[in-house]
Amino acid sequence: MIGPNTTLREVTMGRGGLTFARASIYGFAVLSVLSWAYILAGGGSGLDDLFSGRAWSNAGNFIRQLLGFDGSGRPAFLEPGRWVDTGKLAYKTLLMSVLAISFAGVGVLFTFLPAARNVSNGELGGRPSAALGALYHALRLVLAVTRAVPELVWAMVIVFFLSPGVLPGAVALGLHNYGIVGKLSAEVVENMDPGPARALRSTGAGNLQMLAYGIIPQAIPQFLTYLLYRWEVVIRTTVVVGFVSAGGLGREFRLSLSFFHYTDVALIIVWYLVLVLAVDLLSAGLRRMVRAE
Amino acid sequence: MIWTGTPKTRRAARFLETRRLLTLVLAGALVWSLTGVDWGGGIIHTGGGSALSEFFLALFPPELSPGFLKLALAASWQTVVHAVAGITLALVLGLALGVAASGSLGNPGRSRLVISVAVRFLLAFMRSIHELVWAVLFVAAFGLSSLAVVLAIAIPYAGILGRIYSELLNDVPQGPLVGLRSSGASPARVLLYGRIPMVLTDMLGYSFYRFECAIRAAAIMSFVGIRGLGYEIQLSLNDLLFSEVWTLLLFLVGLVLLVDYWSTKVRRSLGS
Repeated sequence: MIGPNTTLREVTMGRGGLTFARASIYGFAVLSVLSWAYILAGGGSGLDDLFSGRAWSNAGNFIRQLLGFDGSGRPAFLEPGRWVDTGKLAYKTLLMSVLAISFAGVGVLFTFLPAARNVSNGELGGRPSAALGALYHALRLVLAVTRAVPELVWAMVIVFFLSPGVLPGAVALGLHNYGIVGKLSAEVVENMDPGPARALRSTGAGNLQMLAYGIIPQAIPQFLTYLLYRWEVVIRTTVVVGFVSAGGLGREFRLSLSFFHYTDVALIIVWYLVLVLAVDLLSAGLRRMVRAE
Repeated sequence: MIWTGTPKTRRAARFLETRRLLTLVLAGALVWSLTGVDWGGGIIHTGGGSALSEFFLALFPPELSPGFLKLALAASWQTVVHAVAGITLALVLGLALGVAASGSLGNPGRSRLVISVAVRFLLAFMRSIHELVWAVLFVAAFGLSSLAVVLAIAIPYAGILGRIYSELLNDVPQGPLVGLRSSGASPARVLLYGRIPMVLTDMLGYSFYRFECAIRAAAIMSFVGIRGLGYEIQLSLNDLLFSEVWTLLLFLVGLVLLVDYWSTKVRRSLGS
């Protein structure tokens, strides 16, 4: 840790504890050089395109098309009817994000206690048992896998089973975020101050009472804060998951692009930004309520 | 009820009310979101059930022929290359924009304030748009190329890193900076010898965490037609070769967990 007595030399040159970090930085630098070399040496890097006039005029055309300056009829964002249509899709998208984060939240609520090491090994009360230990390892594996697979890949797999619409996208987003929030919430319990729980124990509280009064009240606010933070990420991702799961703005975005309806694309991006902004504000307000004391 | 009792109990009452309101809001959101699903119209596809069991049975065993493993390895490398190149660019951009947004360079004044506010807006815009949406836009504008993907990762990630860097740079204890300034250091030197050393470990820790996210981002870039793990998963899914899908999923999970482990270890050794 950096303390008041840390010198610059200690930070940059490292003490004992920093050697792994330093090795990692060198390792990352090598990886970075290799990656850039691989991209630039490969044929289709697109670097020549980036410096050719043609690509930039393509990009310029694209932006003109987005803004509707190419004379291909009336831009979508000047027609109130289109605003309403896209607004309905934005509503669906918002619904999908809330559903997704609800799935994740309910899942975490049921599993974050057994997924915490100090609950499963009886540090916070209760009797350690082989079953609890096995449950802990199984849950940790589930959390790691659900977290490691990106939402979009979940969605690609899930549309094979569930009918297209809001639900498959919400399930895909819910799975990935379950892994993230579940891990963070279990860590909250693991890093929890054991004082209140021990005090309760010393007054003769049973296991359930300890959970209800010693552990859960400490963990829930942090859990809700993480959940609300993730909601802000989820609303950004709903659009992308909609590409494959056929729900909300994402589907319309993809269709408009493939039909070259560029002003519709611009309109969708505007609604998307409105959603992102609204959710950021809502989540900030709710997080303030969580912290209110 | 709020107007009776001591200030302390009044505060407790207000707290309870906030809590109750919050519970109501969250429960309401849950119910509202559940009503939005068309529960009657067949949630599972016709034939979805058998596809599901087929999919899970294909795990035993996954496709493990040497040729396919080689393909999976090549796809993983492709994904790593895009992630690393993207995050490197994001680090450079994010640092430059983060310093500008923090307003720690240049002399205090109106122009510095204007620049810092403008850069903050730019950063917010960059990170509001998801990396895959950036990728779709870049591919539409520049065509299919590695560089389109690298830019698509670098821009939103620079937006996030820039915001975090600027917040870290602003939240340092002022004492050492005052000391440096009083000994005649220019703002650039205050930044270089005062602010940056104090937040270096936090910056590194967060950057490594973002590297982990970039791997996942690079894997889904396949969706716009760029080769990588996601691309191969999509091809195998389209051909209904579920055992191949499992192999690729295992590679993806392995790769992400490996980087996850690395970044956790770096953060732990930095103590952040």
